[in-house]
Order: sequence, then structure tokens, then C-alpha cells
Amino acid sequence: MAQIEFRDVTKRFDNGTEALRSVSVSFEEGSMTFLTGHSGAGKSTFLRLLLRLDLPTRGQIFVNGVNIAQLPDRHIPAYRQNIGAVFQDHHLLPHHTVYANVALPLRVGGMHERDVVRRARAALSRVGLLEKERMLPPHLSTGEQQRVGIARALVNRPRLLLADEPTGNLDPELSRDIMRLFEQFQEVGTTVIIASHERELIAAMDKPIVELSHGALSEASDEHRSEGSSVQ
Amino acid sequence: MSSDPWSIAGSRSTGRAARWMRDHQRVARDSLIFVSQRFWTSALVWLLIGIALALPGGLYLVQTNLAAMSDRWEGRPGITVYLQVDADAQVGRALRDQLSEDPDVERVTLIGADAALAEFEKFTGVTDALAHLKRNPLPASLRVVMKGDTRPEQFEALATRLRAEAGVDEVSVEKTWLERVQAMTAVVRRMSWVLAATFAVGAILVTATSVRLAIEARLAELQVMKLVGATDSYIRRPFLYFGLLYGLGGGIAGAMLISAVLGILEAPLAALLGSYGQSLDPRGLNAAFFGVLVFSGGALGIAGALLAARQRLTHLQIL
Repeated sequence: MAQIEFRDVTKRFDNGTEALRSVSVSFEEGSMTFLTGHSGAGKSTFLRLLLRLDLPTRGQIFVNGVNIAQLPDRHIPAYRQNIGAVFQDHHLLPHHTVYANVALPLRVGGMHERDVVRRARAALSRVGLLEKERMLPPHLSTGEQQRVGIARALVNRPRLLLADEPTGNLDPELSRDIMRLFEQFQEVGTTVIIASHERELIAAMDKPIVELSHGALSEASDEHRSEGSSVQ
Repeated sequence: MSSDPWSIAGSRSTGRAARWMRDHQRVARDSLIFVSQRFWTSALVWLLIGIALALPGGLYLVQTNLAAMSDRWEGRPGITVYLQVDADAQVGRALRDQLSEDPDVERVTLIGADAALAEFEKFTGVTDALAHLKRNPLPASLRVVMKGDTRPEQFEALATRLRAEAGVDEVSVEKTWLERVQAMTAVVRRMSWVLAATFAVGAILVTATSVRLAIEARLAELQVMKLVGATDSYIRRPFLYFGLLYGLGGGIAGAMLISAVLGILEAPLAALLGSYGQSLDPRGLNAAFFGVLVFSGGALGIAGALLAARQRLTHLQIL
């Protein structure tokens, strides 16, 4: 059974815009996939639906066999604690230190402070920013801020990692470093979905692709085709 | 590479109650730091809540003391019998003995003309009053204290009988004063309830506004918290602590205000009560009263914070 399955998912916003149209696609556990498409193709909406920040207008989204649209509100925090999210504009807390930003998911999860320190520092060490743990995010470069965002997304050892244009502001070398980091997590069983429109980077990574065009599925590797998939 | 990229030992699992306690300790510490770092802003909120609590609190004290005064009078309803100025001292003694036999009377005190004059001089500060007068103008009087279960008709019947006695000039029934005090107590009681309700709403709104500002200042942080899986109660908790700290501080400010006002009014109040033969013995001004005031402040603070959190954090849009 696939870990994630979109079944005929449509998302229409209040203003009438249809961000996703009848998308059916699945992702195996431990896979790493590029979600690609032009700007406005529906990539961010796809990730927001998976994060349960929005609900589909039609269709179902299953994660580990559970229809997440039917998750009771009280179960949503626990669901999100198993997801790491990385964004192009980082969404770091500017008045909190780098360390506090990375420690946030652990504290939210109620971890003992001693373990928070170990885990957060290990995560910072992994992205090469341990020596900057006491600095504030605005004092870091864009690339460093992105690495802090990645450390925060991964510190909780999530089962699912979603990244929305994670290399959008980075130079090619740094972009490849970050992709290698994502690969390492995939290799230990984390399912990674990266929304990106950087064709060169995607080609260099040689990973399966799911492509959206105007909200519809326009290309999907064989392993992502699910029952009812129709590529337009 | 297939090793765990974090390569550290797993975290210790702890119980839910322990996590809850730990988080409360952390939030309490952070909230104290937050409030103390913005001391003057916090002091302003404390003062506003303090004023809102001090007014009904002060009125409650006034009402309690008026009620105590009326209780004191009500417990010994009295009649004062003024004898004629030229009445013989024997008349007073005879009447005292006669009244002492009455089953409705608890006790009788005879105040001679000389004692009345001495009392007059003491209260008015006019000494040597007789030097300017040919004779003592004050009559002897009898202070009659009735038993607590005396019915009004027995009260009035005795007053009527005494008016008919030889040597009696005037009989004053003290029920009138009692009725005034009781009426005043009723007004103050009702006013204190109305004010308490009005100012409680005020205190809640002051706290809600302050907490709302704190929420707005941390909105981005709250959105990220929700994104990484914070529960609503986790997000709300720091603001409830703000409300609690604002409310408790307001309660302490209210207690200080009441103490300050009483300190200012103590001397003139003592003089006023002294003129009615009463001593200043404030009732209700004790640790329990201050405790209730501070507790009420805390409760109103939490209510305000809950209001603000409900308005701003429910359906918080994430990113």
C-alpha cells in the first residue's frame, strides 16, 4: 500500500480558481520525488493539502491509509509532528536564535529539554551551522537561513518531508548540497517530496517526477501512477 | 549511505503529565520574563485592572461596614428618654428601676445631667461650658436597650407609655437611624454589585486587549508553531499566563489602592464615627478580602486572555 495517495483530488478556492483538477497519484514510503510544473501549476496547493492546511474540494487524500480530510481536529497536531516542511522563504522566527528555531518542533512535541538540546544541536551540526546557533536568522545569509529551515524540518525525524522550492534562492552548489542532504534522509526511510521548477537540478538528481500543469497531472513516473491516474 | 543522518540516541520518552508540567514551568518562566521586560506597559495594565477592582472592592467594604453598623444597632434597638431639665434626680432613678423590671428591656443606663454635660464637652471640645451659662441646660436621660426579639409594636407601646410618665420631656426612638442605615446599605450593596459587574467586564476587556496585542506581535511565531504540530492549548498557554499575571498584578494593585484610600480617609472617618459614639473598626479588610481581590483579578485576567485567544487563535490561518 502506498504511503500517500491522492484520489481524484480537486481543490477549488472561494474565488473560483481551480488549483488542482482531478489529481490521482501515489507515493511509496521512503521514496524521493520531484513535484514539478510551472509557476501556478498547483505544486504549493498540493503540499498544503498534504500538510492539512487546506481541505480538498473533492476527492480523498490518504496517508498511511487514513483519509486526512476526516482527521479530527485534535489529531491534526500529532499528524503534523510527523511531517517536516521546508519553504522557499524559510518561515524562521526572526527574534529567536537559530538554536531556538530548530528546537521549536521538539519543544512543541513535549520533549525533555536535555534531549531537545542534543537533538537540536545534532541537527544544526548536520547542516553545518552549529557554530551559529546563538545568532538570529536575519544575521545569516539566505543559504544559511534555508539550512536552518531544513534543520528545523528534520529535527523531529519526520516520516514525511515536504519542501516547497527549497533551493529557489540558492546558488547551484548549495542547491546540490541540500539535495544530497534530502537524499540522506530518504535513504533512512523518510518519504521526501520536493516541489521545484528547477529543471537542471531535477535532471541532475535523477529521481522520479510528478508534473502538474494548470492543476492537472501532466506527467508521472510509473511508480507514482495510482488507480484512476490519468495524465493529461 | 543508509545510516541514520542524526546518528544520536533516541530521546527519553516521558509521561504526558510530566510533559504538561514541564511545559507549564517553561511557559510560566517565559511569561514572567516577558511581563518584566515590558514593566511599564505591564504596570499600566495592572493599574487599569487595579482601579476596576478597587472600586467595587471599596464599595463592598463600605457596604460590609454599614451592615455591621446596622447590625450593631439592630442587635440592641434603643429608646432614649429625655427627662425635663428641672426634673428631680429621683424621677430618673425611679424610672430606671421601673424599666429594669420590664421583660422587654435588656438594660437601662441613667445618664445624669452632669454626665451629659461632660460628654457634651468631650465631643464638642467646648470646655468650661457652665461658666457661660447660669445652669446646666442638658437634661438627664435614660438609655433603654431593648431585647433583640422585641416586636415593633411592643417597642412603640413602651415609647408611648414613657411619654406619659411624669418628668419625661421627650422620648426618642432610634429606629429611624437604623432604617436610614439599612436603606443606605441596600443602595450601596446593589451599587457595588452593578459596579462589580461593570468593572469586571472592563477588566476583562483591558486584559483581552493587552493579550490580543501580544498575540498580534507573535502571530508569525504562532503560525510556525501550528505548522510544526503545536496543539491549540500549547499555543494558547503563554497568553493565558499573560492574562493571569496581568490579573494577579491588577488584584495586587487594587488591594494597594484600597489600602491607600483607607489610609487617607482613616483620620476623618474616625472623627466622623466618633461623633456618633462609634469607633473606627473596619470590618472585612482582612487577608481573605485581599485574597479574594487578587484571586478575582487572576480569574478576570484568564477570562480576558481566553476571550482574546478565542477571537484571534481560532481558525488561525497558517502561512
